[in-house]
Amino acid sequence: MIGLLMTIFSPIIGGLISGVERVVKARMQSRVGPPILQPFYDFFKLMDKRPIMIHSFHASMGVMYFISAWFAFAVLMLGNDLLIAVFFHVISILALSMGAFSVRSSYSIIGAMRELIHLASYEPVVILCVVGLYLSTGSFDISVILSSSNAPIFTLPLLFFAFVGAIPMMLHKSPFDVAEAHQEIIGGPDIEYSGPFYEAVYTGRWIENVFVYFLVFLFGGGNFILGAFLVVATFLLVTLIDNSTARLDYQRMLKFAWVILIPMAVFNIFFLALGGN
Amino acid sequence: MSKFRKKSPWILHYNTGGCNGCDIEILAALGPKFDIERFGMLNRGNPKQSDILLVTGPVTLKCRDVLRRLYLEMPEPKVVVAMGACTFGGGVFRDFYHVENGVNNILPVDVWIPGCTPRVEALIDGMIKALDVWEKKSKDKEYLNNHSEELLKEIGAIND
Repeated sequence: MIGLLMTIFSPIIGGLISGVERVVKARMQSRVGPPILQPFYDFFKLMDKRPIMIHSFHASMGVMYFISAWFAFAVLMLGNDLLIAVFFHVISILALSMGAFSVRSSYSIIGAMRELIHLASYEPVVILCVVGLYLSTGSFDISVILSSSNAPIFTLPLLFFAFVGAIPMMLHKSPFDVAEAHQEIIGGPDIEYSGPFYEAVYTGRWIENVFVYFLVFLFGGGNFILGAFLVVATFLLVTLIDNSTARLDYQRMLKFAWVILIPMAVFNIFFLALGGN
Repeated sequence: MSKFRKKSPWILHYNTGGCNGCDIEILAALGPKFDIERFGMLNRGNPKQSDILLVTGPVTLKCRDVLRRLYLEMPEPKVVVAMGACTFGGGVFRDFYHVENGVNNILPVDVWIPGCTPRVEALIDGMIKALDVWEKKSKDKEYLNNHSEELLKEIGAIND
C-alpha cells in the first residue's frame, strides 16, 4: 500500500526534493533562493506554453523518458526484483538519448553521446550495488531487504561510498555533469525540447531523483531511521560537492568511475563473499 | 493556470554587440546580493525553453539575423525586454556603418530599461514590469500575430 502511494506521488515527492535542493544550493551560496514550490510553478508554466515539436519521434521519446522512468520506479516500489528495476532505469536513459540523437542539433547529439558515457560510468557501480545488497541480505526483493534485521551499510561501507561517488553522475551534479553542461552544450539532450515536452523531461528528472535516493535508503535495511539519516546526509554531501567543484571532462569521469569506484565496490564484494556472513 | 505564469520566468539573454556593461550588471543580478532567483528567474541559454528575451546592445548587422531567429524560436507567450541606452536608437553607436540603430527596428519590444548602463535595481524593476505585460498575453492570439504575413514581412523573415 505504501509502495503504491509512493509510486503515484513520486513526481510530487521528486518535485519537492528538487525545490529543497534549489533552496539548499542558494543558501550554500549565501543567496535567498526561490520558494520551495518553485519546480511546480515551472511545471504549470511549461504546461501553459505553446507546444513546438521538432518531429513526432523526438517528442514521443521525451514523453517515453518520463513514462519509463516512472515505470522503473513503480517496478522498484511494487515489490519486484531490484535488478529488473535498475534495467528499466537504463531503458529510460536510452529513450532520452535516442530522442536526442534523432535531431540535427549538434549540441543535442553531443549531449546524447555524453549521456551514454555517463551510463557507462555509473551503471556498473549500480549493478554491483544491487549484487552487494543481494549478498548482504540474501534477496533481490525490496520487502526482504527492507525487513532485514542487520543494515547492509555495516557490511557494505566501501560499496556505499562508491555509490555516493556515482550519484553526481546519475543526477548530473557538478563535478560530473558533462552531459548537460549548461555553459558549453546548453542542457545537452533536452536542448531541443520546449513547452509541454520539456516538462515531461523535467518531471522525468524529478522521478530519477526519487529513484536514486530510494536506492540510498535501501542501505539502511530494516532500520528506517538509519535509512532516512543516510538519505539526508547523502543529499547534503552531494549538494555540497555540487556547489564546491568545477566540471571535469568525460575522460576523467570515466577514469574516476572505472579506476576508483568499481575496484572499491568489487573489493567490498570479494571481502563479503570470501568472509561468508 | 496562467496565474502561475509570472512566478517562473526564464530568461534568454543576448548581447547584440554592446560594450558588455549591461551583461556585467545582469551577472551581478544573478549573484548573492540581488539574487534574481528569488522571483524564480533563471538564466537559460536556450530560446526554446525561455520566456523573456533580454536584449542588450545596438543591433549590429551580423547579429540581426541571429536575433530574429532567436525571437522566432521562442514559444509563445513571450516578452522582449531591451536593456540599456543603445538598444533605443543606437545610443552612442547611432548611425555607425555597422549598426541597425536599436532593437525596435527588428523586434517588437515590450519593456525598455533606460540608462547607460542601467543599475541592477532598474533591471529588476524592468523585469517585474515585463511580468505584468507577460501575464496579459495569450498564446494563441500572439501566435497568429507573429505568423501573419504582414508581420513576417515587416520584420524581414520573408524575402530577406
